[in-house]
Amino acid sequence: MEAPPDPGPHASASASAAAPLRAPEVARLREEQEKVVTNCQEKIQHWKKVDNDYNALEERLSTLPDKLSYNIMVPFGPFAFMPGKLVHTNEVTVLLGDNWFAKCSAKQAVGLVEHRKEHVRKTIDDLKKVMKNFESRVEFTEDLQKMSDAAGDIVDIREEIKTDFEFKAKHRIAHKPHSKPKTSGIFEAEFSNDLKSKDLLADKELWDRLEELERQEELLGEIDIDSKPDTLIANGEDTSSEEEKEDQNINVNMMNQVMDSLTPSNCYQNVTNSELFNGQVNSQWNCSINGSNSYHNNEDEEDDDDDGGDNENDHDTLGAEDNSIPTIYFSHTVEPKRVRINTGKNTTLKFSEKKEEAKRKRKNSSGSGHSPQELPMIRTPADIYRVFVDIVNGEYVPRKSILKSRSRENSVCSDTSESSAADFDDRRGVLRSISCEEATCSDAHESILDEEQQENHQKKLFPLSVTPEAFSGTVIEKEFLSPSLTPHPAMAHPVLPTIPERKEVLSEVSEGTTKRVSKFKAARLQQKN
Amino acid sequence: MPSRGARPEDGSGLVPTDNSTQHKEDLSSKIKEQKIVVDELSNLKKNRKVYRQQQNSDIFFLADRTEMLSESKNTLDELRKEYQEIENSEKTKIKK
Repeated sequence: MEAPPDPGPHASASASAAAPLRAPEVARLREEQEKVVTNCQEKIQHWKKVDNDYNALEERLSTLPDKLSYNIMVPFGPFAFMPGKLVHTNEVTVLLGDNWFAKCSAKQAVGLVEHRKEHVRKTIDDLKKVMKNFESRVEFTEDLQKMSDAAGDIVDIREEIKTDFEFKAKHRIAHKPHSKPKTSGIFEAEFSNDLKSKDLLADKELWDRLEELERQEELLGEIDIDSKPDTLIANGEDTSSEEEKEDQNINVNMMNQVMDSLTPSNCYQNVTNSELFNGQVNSQWNCSINGSNSYHNNEDEEDDDDDGGDNENDHDTLGAEDNSIPTIYFSHTVEPKRVRINTGKNTTLKFSEKKEEAKRKRKNSSGSGHSPQELPMIRTPADIYRVFVDIVNGEYVPRKSILKSRSRENSVCSDTSESSAADFDDRRGVLRSISCEEATCSDAHESILDEEQQENHQKKLFPLSVTPEAFSGTVIEKEFLSPSLTPHPAMAHPVLPTIPERKEVLSEVSEGTTKRVSKFKAARLQQKN
Repeated sequence: MPSRGARPEDGSGLVPTDNSTQHKEDLSSKIKEQKIVVDELSNLKKNRKVYRQQQNSDIFFLADRTEMLSESKNTLDELRKEYQEIENSEKTKIKK
């Protein structure tokens, strides 16, 4: 029997605690409702007066045409009157509103008055309804007040809604369906929210492509240089997809960060992504897309982060000394797009001396970790023609049109075609791979790496040593493979840069005995180490 | 030629009996008004003109004196009746 008494006081206490809380609120509610009621009453009163006035007016109007004229007191202001006569008893001007009047007969005016009276009546009815409604509400609140005052066994039940669930759900929605286990959750989530909402479709394509490329890489990882052309051809041929990728790259710059967090296997991507923050890679991508702008951008930025493009240049120049076969080998980030646009399948445009000079400078500045690269500035159309030149009989001839696929038979392109299909393919592949580096992590990277390795190999042979340049993915490998680099002798004489370059390529192809190691692999190896 | 403004039948018992006391007061004041009007009209000379104001406007229409007197008397009667009714209802309420 002791138990029941306990809850009793408790309940009453809670009730008493609730009642003071509730009382003023309920009282206020009732107040407001009563206010509404009184307000309605006032309005009804007003409208009734209006209705009454209209009634009188209607009566007067209906009887006005009965007589021809009326003796009236004409008001002069509020206090002065003068006797007058009301004639034209059947002519009335009706105020339509906004100081517009309509002249009409008394009968028509009566009709108008009727119409207005109807409106007035409607309003009164509405007001009455509202009043009734609120009167009933007032009654209800009164009852509530009584209940809250009197009864102690009415309890408030409140349930708090936790907001955590919502957050979680949001994050989960943001995830990709076949995303790999993430390493840095928070970071990724932030980006993924934005990205996936924006371009889910592109995202998916990208993923598919990535996976495919990864598979390809696995297959090709062990293959020698000799087999390179094949893969490169394959790369070269699906230009459309790569174009897409490039587009995607632009859109999905940030996406890469997410991806690399998701896929640890794409090590090189990690590196490049780190660059992403610097904006270097972005610029490079833009270059690859814009084609001619690339060197300009690189020039501006100079230094370490030129990575991919620099590597290409390096091995170009390095290879030049070894080879005697005249082959022109070009490989730079910029070029693939240009190649596609300007020259068609089996041609590339030649960069003029400026590029070579830039390379030389870079090479000559041995010892310093950073080799500033000077690249041709393209700011005017004239610059384009200065930069892109054909080679006729070993001399530079400005192109007549950079839009045409090939101005002459003896242009650079023709040279390349003569040299060897394999070589060309190789070059192309490299270019492609650079262009789509970020997005695809394709086998093309392997080719780049390969060449880099070769380059390094060659460099090793030379006495002078250059400290490794700071890149993203490639740098790692360089350090990994060869700490010392040598400036190329071919670079020394600035006058004939192109011919040595040609040689180099062939040498690469022929001498390419070193084993290919993909960027992924290299990165993985490093990780293991 | 003095003229007089008379405003008969201002409130003709339209107000509901909710706030009966207020309505009652209104009625009593109106009754007083009407009494005065009737008095004035009955004491007028025969050749006096009487004007009646058009409701909600400043125009005064010439009206017949005797007619106005009878009309005002009628309204006074009506008002008294109404007043009586209210009083009666109140009394019955009190009795209950």
